[in-house]
Amino acid sequence: MAADSDLESEVFEITDFTTASEWERFVSRVEEVLNDWKLTGNSARTLSPEKGQYTSGTWGEKSQDINFADFKFYITHYFLKEECDQDEGTDSPKEDVLPLGIQDLLCMNNDFPPRAHCLVRWYGLREFVIISPGTNCEAIISESKCNLLLSSVSISLANSGCQVPMFVQIQQKWRRMYAGECQGPGVRTDFEIVQLRKVPSQYNHLSGLLDIFKSKIGCTLFPLPPVNIAIRFTYILQDWQQYSWPQQPPDFDTLLGGEVGGVEFGKLPFGACEEPISELHLATTWPHLTEGIVVDNDVYSDLDPLQAPHWSVRVKTAENPQCLLGDFLTEFFKLGCRKESTEELLGRGLTEEEGKDNSDISSALSKLTEPTATVPITKLYVSNMVHTARKHIRRHRRIDESPLNTDVLNSVLLYLFPDAAVEKSSENVKSKTAPSNSGETTEQDKNSDYNLFLQLKSAPSDSLTYRLALCVCLVNYNYGGMRAVAHLWQEFVLELRYRWENNHLIYGLTGGPPDLRCCLLHQKLQMLNCCIERKRARDEVRKTLEGSKDRERRVSGGSQNSRQAPESTAAATRELSQGKSWDSWSDSEDEFFECLSDQGEIEAPQTEGGKDVSKGKAEGRLHPHNNMTLLNSTEPLYVPVTQEPAPMTEDLLEEQSEVLAKLGTSAEGTHLRARMQSACLLSDMESFKAANPGCVLEDFVRWYSPRDYVEEEVVDEKGNTVVKGELSPRMKIPGNMWVEAWETARVTPARRQRRLFDDTKEAEKVLHYLAMQKPADVASHLLPCMIHAAILKLKEEESVEDIPSVKKSIQQAVSQASKLLHPPNRDYKKLEDFMNQLMVMEISITRARSLKAKFSVSEDEKGEDADELEKFVSSLLEEPEVAVIGAGQGPAGSIIHRLFINSQRAALLAPMDDDLVSDRKLTGRSSKVADFPPPAGREILLRTCVPRPAPYSKALPQRLFCVLMKDEFRLAGAFSTDTSFF
Amino acid sequence: MDDDVLTTLKLLIIGESGVGKSSLLLRFTEDTFDPEQSATIGVDFKVKTLAIDGNKAKLAIWDTAGQERFRTLTPSYYRGAQGVILVYDVTKRDTFTKLENWLNELETYTTRNDIVKMLVGNKIDKDDHEVDRNEGLKFARKHSMLFIEASAKTKDGVQCAFEELVEKILQTPGLWESETQGQKVRLGDHEQARAGACGGYCSIP
Repeated sequence: MAADSDLESEVFEITDFTTASEWERFVSRVEEVLNDWKLTGNSARTLSPEKGQYTSGTWGEKSQDINFADFKFYITHYFLKEECDQDEGTDSPKEDVLPLGIQDLLCMNNDFPPRAHCLVRWYGLREFVIISPGTNCEAIISESKCNLLLSSVSISLANSGCQVPMFVQIQQKWRRMYAGECQGPGVRTDFEIVQLRKVPSQYNHLSGLLDIFKSKIGCTLFPLPPVNIAIRFTYILQDWQQYSWPQQPPDFDTLLGGEVGGVEFGKLPFGACEEPISELHLATTWPHLTEGIVVDNDVYSDLDPLQAPHWSVRVKTAENPQCLLGDFLTEFFKLGCRKESTEELLGRGLTEEEGKDNSDISSALSKLTEPTATVPITKLYVSNMVHTARKHIRRHRRIDESPLNTDVLNSVLLYLFPDAAVEKSSENVKSKTAPSNSGETTEQDKNSDYNLFLQLKSAPSDSLTYRLALCVCLVNYNYGGMRAVAHLWQEFVLELRYRWENNHLIYGLTGGPPDLRCCLLHQKLQMLNCCIERKRARDEVRKTLEGSKDRERRVSGGSQNSRQAPESTAAATRELSQGKSWDSWSDSEDEFFECLSDQGEIEAPQTEGGKDVSKGKAEGRLHPHNNMTLLNSTEPLYVPVTQEPAPMTEDLLEEQSEVLAKLGTSAEGTHLRARMQSACLLSDMESFKAANPGCVLEDFVRWYSPRDYVEEEVVDEKGNTVVKGELSPRMKIPGNMWVEAWETARVTPARRQRRLFDDTKEAEKVLHYLAMQKPADVASHLLPCMIHAAILKLKEEESVEDIPSVKKSIQQAVSQASKLLHPPNRDYKKLEDFMNQLMVMEISITRARSLKAKFSVSEDEKGEDADELEKFVSSLLEEPEVAVIGAGQGPAGSIIHRLFINSQRAALLAPMDDDLVSDRKLTGRSSKVADFPPPAGREILLRTCVPRPAPYSKALPQRLFCVLMKDEFRLAGAFSTDTSFF
Repeated sequence: MDDDVLTTLKLLIIGESGVGKSSLLLRFTEDTFDPEQSATIGVDFKVKTLAIDGNKAKLAIWDTAGQERFRTLTPSYYRGAQGVILVYDVTKRDTFTKLENWLNELETYTTRNDIVKMLVGNKIDKDDHEVDRNEGLKFARKHSMLFIEASAKTKDGVQCAFEELVEKILQTPGLWESETQGQKVRLGDHEQARAGACGGYCSIP
């Protein structure tokens, strides 16, 4: 293009591009891009990069499509982001300054960066541009195409004055072949690469490579300026022989083997089942050698890794090692996505009642259809073994067919309901120890972790719900999958029903109304407990009332009976409720709502026998209210004993608010709503009337809504100031709900009122709800608890190892989980990702554990060394490559050395065991096994500064980077020439 | 019916009895004032659609009874609220001093911690002020709330209070969901509710 326009301009004034070829257009596009990216002109920066800056700094990348005819290329600019941009000085480039790209060729501060673009490693560049074929475009293979591209690059660099090295990617992508050029004032550097499959034997050492380098430079000066050499050998250790992964998978079989109680149900397993660190790469580096100092040729080498001045290590981690906690979680999570109902799984017979003969057939059928995919194959093998073994032991075929082993089931139930141990001791002789650790768990309350359940909407870690989650998870993973879970759930619900019917409180739930901050299942259980509590209280009252009636018959006119009786009830309640009595129940409040049909009988004698017939007998008093007296008498105003409001679970609440909301926003709606909610007000009024005979609405309002009783100081006829009170205007509105309710309210103490809360109905509702849950529903209900448990486990394990990055991700996980678990409709895709995150954390911890085991200093207990090793291990986990302090002589170095020796010995001696003795002699003779295996990779970097092409040219940087591996030989050369006179 | 509604927000009105919660709500929803507003029993409920910056938000406002005894009942309705209006009566100091208790209650019973709170000093049309505007301001500042003085009777500040609150909620990321998501939520709840209700009818004839 340049040449064309020059020609044309001699003849015409206008410039004509209408006939420009595709190639010309391509060149001008490249120039445009370079201009857009402001890569033209020399940047005034002359500072060489600091040591390690290529690793610590961040790299930027900008890319764009560019077409050559219809062939698509990407043009990409890679650059190291530098803190202080000195772009202002770009206007005045100094004539004699070499372009950065050429200066960097000689810089020694960033040789062998651990993580960088290959061109950075080969040429030490901090900024460059690559043109590579677009995706799905064929590679540039033919030489003429390569040359065409290179000349395009050359022209555009020259036209734009860009001093950034520019490359084109040629040959197949995997070969990583680049050809490129960098232009500066009077200088040009050509970048070229040779890549072969095999290392030619004459170049398999330093001296051969030096020969290539020198011949390529073609310098005729004598003596040639010395060549600077940097060498890195990399050794790979794959064999951990002596350090076999110490983690044993937990022994699930102990329980199945017949020992009941062998497995702790409260514990989640943790750790990898296989070595999480697959390889250790040791790089031994000689950063600064000069020609002649070391000898390395085809017969001899000075390059002993042990003597290398610089060692660095990186570890390669196994991809997705099998980790126990992760497996547990995944299986549990999968369970939540199943569709099968309990009936389908266990068959009709089992669902109804165990022990019917037809259950054999149905469960056998469902056994056929049972999907076994959830059980890992290895585990299947074990359980099958045990299963067949058990067949010989079992006498009852029926039990044999049940999905969950009876022993396992018993110990699970015992773990869930430890308070049942005493009652069931006749059945389980072995497990007679009644756990009484409720005291310990309350101490745990102070732990900050304890409140995690609030964030996750799970349940407290000492609650039944939480323990149930752990059991379901374990049973699902190890004791029979979904069918076993269905079985366990059925038993669990049966136990709850038993407790409801027999007035036994459910162990391991905080008292009081359902905690809406917990998961719904936990709320349901709490609700059931509320029902049991009330039913029990009711029964107690009935009993004592019957008792008192008996006594009444014997000793007539005992007015203290009603006071005495409840005291004993309260004592009984306190005794049985595991020390966690209802917060809302104060001891003085121990009278209970009763609606027995025979109550009328008691009321009658009381009113008859009352001393003050006009006012009636006061009943259900709680305590006097602020020394107030009734308006119409001198009697103190008593606060009555009232009915507790009905406890609610969040779904009930939702239902009720929906009902209330549906009434609409009209005046009638408001009225109806108020009426629906006035039951509580009415009940309180009735109690109040019973406690304060002769009272008026004003009295009630003074207690209930004091601001609606307006008091004013008035001067009466006699001149005395008297406090005169009256109802507020809104209470005086005729026909308002309060007045209406007051008028309809009868004189009835709370214990004889109709119950506001029908515990029987609510308990049955809860039990039915629970019974209807499919195994998958149970798993979804318990998922927050499971995540809670997993996070606690991770925290616990992390605190042992102290890994900052994991600690941080655990914190992030908590807040993320709280977002994922709170909305009622869960995003399962996101949850799955979240589970994976937890697994990644587990793997990180096991990696740390593995490395610690390998670099432990238990043998030589040197304090300093231990510290150093600890630091070394933790940086191995966080950084891509870690320098070994003291190289081969330091504490870490010597451990690495020993690791290599052991693996070498093992590799060479291992076959010996099987071979003949004569062979052993042979190997014994050559027992001078090298400490290290042959290096997996050798990198040799040659640099010098010589005049090219003629002896009188400017001395310019020359560089050759050689990579020698088992199946690759690569030479990446950058040769600069003075273009002033050529 | 409202197809173009961006989101449905749940708001709460709480405060001591007789401070004018229901009157504020009535003024906002119906632009009327009823001097004979009777004392609320339990909770009441009103709906209003409000346009903020061209976005329509449907407000489901729960009005609560202020009486001590009702506090065993009303907090259950705090669940899921995105905004709360905390009302006191500028002519009655004790309604102001009890505000701390209300905040504690909110803390305990609301399900989110980023709920937007607005403090409203009501009845400024009256003469005998016992609580100074600055005190209200100070309190609101201390507890990171919005603050306004208002009068349900004279209309002052009422509309503004609700608008500010809603605007603030809409500006808080993650506090509200757009209507499409919201519908999904409700579907799930229905299912749950049905299962719960069914329990009662099936097992007890």
